[in-house]
Amino acid sequence: MRVFVPGVYPRSEALVQATRDLDRGRTTEEAVGEQLEQDFQALVAAEEDAGLDLLSDGMLGWQDLFRPLAEAAEGLDARPLTRLLDTNTFYRGVLVEGEPRLRTPLEAPRLPAGRWLATLPSPLAFSRAAQGMASAQALAANVLAPQIEAYAAAGCALVVFSDPFLATERGVPELAAALAELPAVVPLALQLPFGDASPVLAEVAELPVSAVGVDFYATALDSLPDGFPKEVIAGVVDSRSSALEDPNEILAFALELAGRVAGGVSLAPNGDLQFVPEPIARRKIAVLGAARTALGAGA
Amino acid sequence: MSRVHFVTREIGSLAKPSWRAKAFAGRPLGEADRAEAERWGRRLEVEGHEQLLELLSVPQLGEAELPAIDDWAARYALRLLERAGLDVVYDGEQRRTEMYDHVAQHSRGFEPRGSVRAFDNKYYAKAAVVESPSIDAPYDIEEFRFVAGTTDRIVKVPLTGAYTMVDWSYDEHYAGARRLGASAEQRYEARQRFVADVAEQVILPNARGLVEAGAAWIQIDEPAAATKPHEVPLVVEGFNASVRGVDAKKSMHICFSDYRALWPAVLELEDCFELQLEFANRDSRALGTHDEDRPGYAETLRLFRDHGYPNVGLGVLDIHSDFVEPPELVRDRLLYAADVLGDPERIQVNPDCGLRTRSWDVVYEKLASMVEGVRLAEAVLERAQAGREPA
Repeated sequence: MRVFVPGVYPRSEALVQATRDLDRGRTTEEAVGEQLEQDFQALVAAEEDAGLDLLSDGMLGWQDLFRPLAEAAEGLDARPLTRLLDTNTFYRGVLVEGEPRLRTPLEAPRLPAGRWLATLPSPLAFSRAAQGMASAQALAANVLAPQIEAYAAAGCALVVFSDPFLATERGVPELAAALAELPAVVPLALQLPFGDASPVLAEVAELPVSAVGVDFYATALDSLPDGFPKEVIAGVVDSRSSALEDPNEILAFALELAGRVAGGVSLAPNGDLQFVPEPIARRKIAVLGAARTALGAGA
Repeated sequence: MSRVHFVTREIGSLAKPSWRAKAFAGRPLGEADRAEAERWGRRLEVEGHEQLLELLSVPQLGEAELPAIDDWAARYALRLLERAGLDVVYDGEQRRTEMYDHVAQHSRGFEPRGSVRAFDNKYYAKAAVVESPSIDAPYDIEEFRFVAGTTDRIVKVPLTGAYTMVDWSYDEHYAGARRLGASAEQRYEARQRFVADVAEQVILPNARGLVEAGAAWIQIDEPAAATKPHEVPLVVEGFNASVRGVDAKKSMHICFSDYRALWPAVLELEDCFELQLEFANRDSRALGTHDEDRPGYAETLRLFRDHGYPNVGLGVLDIHSDFVEPPELVRDRLLYAADVLGDPERIQVNPDCGLRTRSWDVVYEKLASMVEGVRLAEAVLERAQAGREPA
């Protein structure tokens, strides 16, 4: 049973202040970069201490799930503020101004080869962030595919596609067609953050991904089809709650889940940890680690 | 012929002047800060502003000077809104940190937890509820009394709504220990109890105190109202419990949401005469009074028309842009709304939301243009009433 933390991780208060100061002309890009590096090192240390199986760089330099890719691509821009689901956090919607094509892949994080995961928007989520003005297939083929190639060459062990919209807006066939455009160079997972995934679980079981992430704070365990064929990335830590979870409760839930699925179980938060302040996020990583330790002790 | 008159208002926040922000942050003021105080003091004809300039010339401002600085910031904000021509004003929330934090800081039961990203490099401070919230005493009375004693305009007091306080808070009290696998019904019931307590034990006593002090209009701000459509009934329950028995005019402000989720639940709002909504953010900047010219207004205004209740506070200024809406654009947005609703008396006029992300220069130009645009629309409608030309 693997444990890992995909998605955007919250910035420390020091980094928050540094970025505020940068906006107000009170500090330099260099100083913010130094703080960013400190936050990155602290996150990796927390993940290692918790014994996580795959490391994440927390996307600390990303403003939201779409912006860096939109800015790195010809034909795309990011502008209109758009609420993310029912949260009080906004992303900048993607504007399509031409044929989207990645100019230069985003730099891979400095993490040990074979031991890190990357998070990207699913091709369909990317298309929806652009109001459908670019197709999921085109974004997959011309933006996400070269990015995945670059990540794989840098030793990425897993790419997690985040799709906040799939469970409510559907479109699994369109997503399947887009996923077919991607190179088979690294295992792919699909995470459905923050919401009831039950309407699409039967369909996503057929997608060309090795694992599916489900928010079990919004999805009933009973809604998972018996013998679900994919690995389930169980969202067992609530990224929208400041309350700390009980590792034993997580363990009991994970074991019950494991008895129902054929593809195995991994443990993760139910969405990006950026929805809690950093000290709480760090403790939630430790909770996941404690659940993993308890699982090992009981094995 | 009856005169057409649209009441003009602000919604809430204005940016804090640099001299106010730095004084409260304990940072030294520079010549630029003093120059700003003088510039706006002259431009807005703030009576006695020389006293502020004298105060700001002190090398190091201390705690003792802060109450006077606060009063001056409120006075300057009031004069800004008055000089722009608004009928209904407040103080730009100059004394408040931020709409959520202001309530959490003045209430028992909330504990700060840290910063969460809003967008870009903008973050908000988020608290957790750790016990049933309450207040020791109404906390906006002095702020209101200052405003009422400093302006001759109608005063509308903005208060953050119960549902938004709940939605923007972490829950470490109502949800209980076991949350993994909790049913949707259990989660809803926990939030319902949380909303009820905030409404009855925080918002209502503050609203009552304000009305006893002379407040005649309470605006409940609910930016989170439509974010979870299945919880709109909780928004309504929260509003009703927050103002029950309060003898004042009541309205609700909502923004940046899918307003279709609000009806029919909002029909159960008790004694809420108006919903003030954001429209300009999603509208075209082209002139015109047909459906295709006003994409930001068409669908939502039909909801007001078809349900007949409540009235609309029409957002005509985009608060996320420095674009100064020409008076003709404001006129056309207002004429379009009057045509869809069929009754101009159901409409009052305001910016989409608070203007604190804009500089005062931009705010003044936008608001003055809004007022001018309203006068243009009134003239068109009055001529139409008189039968001299079609609207």
